[in-house]
Amino acid sequence: MTVGSSLTIALRALSRNKLQTALTTIGMTIGVATVLTMIALGTGAEAAIEQQVRAAGMNLIVVTAGNYKTKTEDDGGGVVDHQARLIPDPQSLIPDVLLAGFHPEDDPMEKHDHPTARQRLGDTEAGLGAAATLTPADADAIRQLRGVQFVSEGIHENVHATAGDKRWFTRLHGGDVELPSIRRSWTFTAGRFFSAREQSRLAPVAVLGAFAAEKLFGTANPVGQQILLWKQPFQVVGVVGSGSWMVAPSAGDDQFDAVYVPFTTIHKLLNLSKLNDITITAASTGEVTRVSKDVTELLRTRHGIGMKDPDDFTVGTQARQSLARGGLRPEVARAVVGNVSGLEKVTLEQLGRTLDRATKTMTALLGSIAAVSLIVGGIGIMNIMLLSVTERTREIGIRRAVGARAGDVLRQFLAEAIALSVIGGVAGIALGAVASGIIAQMLKWSTSVSPASIALSFAVAAAVGVFFGYYPARQASRLDPIDSLRYE
Amino acid sequence: MPLLRVKDLVKTYQVGDVAVRALRGVTLEVEKGEFVAVVGPSGSGKSTFMHILGCLDRPTSGEYWLEDRDVSRLNDDELSAIRNRQIGFVFQGFNLLARTSAVENVELPLLYGPAKVGAAERRKRASAALQAVGLADRAEHHPNQLSGGQQQRVAIARALLNNPSILFADEPTGNLDSRTSVEVMDIFQRLKDERGITIVLITHEQQVAEYGSRIIAFKDGQIVSDRANDRQRLAMGELAMLPAG
Repeated sequence: MTVGSSLTIALRALSRNKLQTALTTIGMTIGVATVLTMIALGTGAEAAIEQQVRAAGMNLIVVTAGNYKTKTEDDGGGVVDHQARLIPDPQSLIPDVLLAGFHPEDDPMEKHDHPTARQRLGDTEAGLGAAATLTPADADAIRQLRGVQFVSEGIHENVHATAGDKRWFTRLHGGDVELPSIRRSWTFTAGRFFSAREQSRLAPVAVLGAFAAEKLFGTANPVGQQILLWKQPFQVVGVVGSGSWMVAPSAGDDQFDAVYVPFTTIHKLLNLSKLNDITITAASTGEVTRVSKDVTELLRTRHGIGMKDPDDFTVGTQARQSLARGGLRPEVARAVVGNVSGLEKVTLEQLGRTLDRATKTMTALLGSIAAVSLIVGGIGIMNIMLLSVTERTREIGIRRAVGARAGDVLRQFLAEAIALSVIGGVAGIALGAVASGIIAQMLKWSTSVSPASIALSFAVAAAVGVFFGYYPARQASRLDPIDSLRYE
Repeated sequence: MPLLRVKDLVKTYQVGDVAVRALRGVTLEVEKGEFVAVVGPSGSGKSTFMHILGCLDRPTSGEYWLEDRDVSRLNDDELSAIRNRQIGFVFQGFNLLARTSAVENVELPLLYGPAKVGAAERRKRASAALQAVGLADRAEHHPNQLSGGQQQRVAIARALLNNPSILFADEPTGNLDSRTSVEVMDIFQRLKDERGITIVLITHEQQVAEYGSRIIAFKDGQIVSDRANDRQRLAMGELAMLPAG
């Protein structure tokens, strides 16, 4: 007798008693559903950790304009202006030249309500980011580097945003369309981010942080409404909120108590040409160090900085920040970061560890539920199979009389037990997928039901069927043909 | 060369402390194409005898040769194979699988045959066997939707599916009324005449035994008489006399 006909016989036998079959499989269903949910939660938690880590900016590199020169490198202190020599004699300035490479911002004679580059570079109070050394062209050059994933130009101002009679003093960020790809923890609660088309057209569009949106519009949907920034009308196209349960929008948080507009629009509106910073993500967290080195090299070349001179910008990574916070001097920190390739991973692990512990507890809990329900389900199958053997003694006799061997009977009953557990298992996989989906919704975790976890659940179900079905099947195969034929 | 030959067949059961001697040395030869009726009161050992002949049981001692093969020493799997290919059974209680259609009952032996038979081929052969016993229109009926006579005919169709050389019938008319009993006997006599199938009929009723071409009487685990039946009842003729059911 072939496996196929064993299965045919088994399925026929099971279909004769549908209610019993259904009830018997429930135990298995719950067991397998728990196994699947457990795996999904486990992998989901891993993905969540990964996501949180990215959201926390582990693959983030921020290039900030300006640099503090340390005393060891420059007696004068403060910031050095390497681009100063590029500034031409004001007398020779004609409009064409001005458009070709210079900007009134660089020109000390230009009337402008912003301090000039020279003023800023000499002014330590202006701080990092205020120096006018980074340009959109720098950002475009960085985009060409290997290992760079996303790049966003950044201009940051404080602004009074007005909507109707409501005013809110908040942060204004000029950014690139790629910014949402960098801020992985963002979700758009309404609308969208501004488009590449709007950015290139210098469109007056704005995306509100969730907190700012609430301050300006309350519970109403701001999308399509107008706000005023510097008394200029901007159309709201979207509202961005936190997609991470670890971060909630709050006042002054810089991310959600904020307004985002295309940096090109700000450049035009405020008559600016420089950037405060450039935000970069590395394609992989392991490459952050290399990419930040490449960025440094690139910008030094572009800015024409000599070998012995310090950078006129600062390249910051999450890892370096955590070192610097520990009191290390920047050049020491840079040396350390440059030489420890796995540094990002260390901090990454630290961040993940807390989440990992929570996951382990949950996995252990689900694991014990799964084990108990699989055992209970298995015993249920064994019980029903033993009952079935007694109930169907005569059937066994008939089959033996027409030529079924003891082994055929064993295979038939084993196939029935496996079929019961596998039917339960398949239902369990469906239930587990739904349960994982619900948990994913509740925890905002990306629980993933992978083909591998489905295969594993299936295998577990079949194994339970074999384990608990073998004993009843052996009992069936050992029955004496004559006794079973006479059995009433 | 006889189809079936037993010599000094002994079967002893152990029931508690008591040894029950069901068969006490039976010697017999049956030729191909005979219709042997084994008659005897209950407890005479005739059923035990049939179980051993039908390879459902093994003798305690003695020899049993079936078509030149000593089957008394074969193992369980080999006996199963013989039951599947060379032997057909018809029982008093029909022994059909409940909640299973007639055609599925009939195709049962093919599931355990040596050759792999496809589902379509199984269905085809089972349908043909049902047609041969006049139940082509009852193929999808379950046993509880069939009369006793119909159920017994399904059982006969099942027994004949693998073209056995010998058919064992254990009180086949015990649960049937007189007309259907005669019908079943008619089928047996035709099988013997038309297909040369050897029939071994076990019964406790002398009148039923009279359908056989040879009558063997059992008592206390031994053969007490073995004679050719010169007054054999012919079921076909009797059916013509009976009022239509």
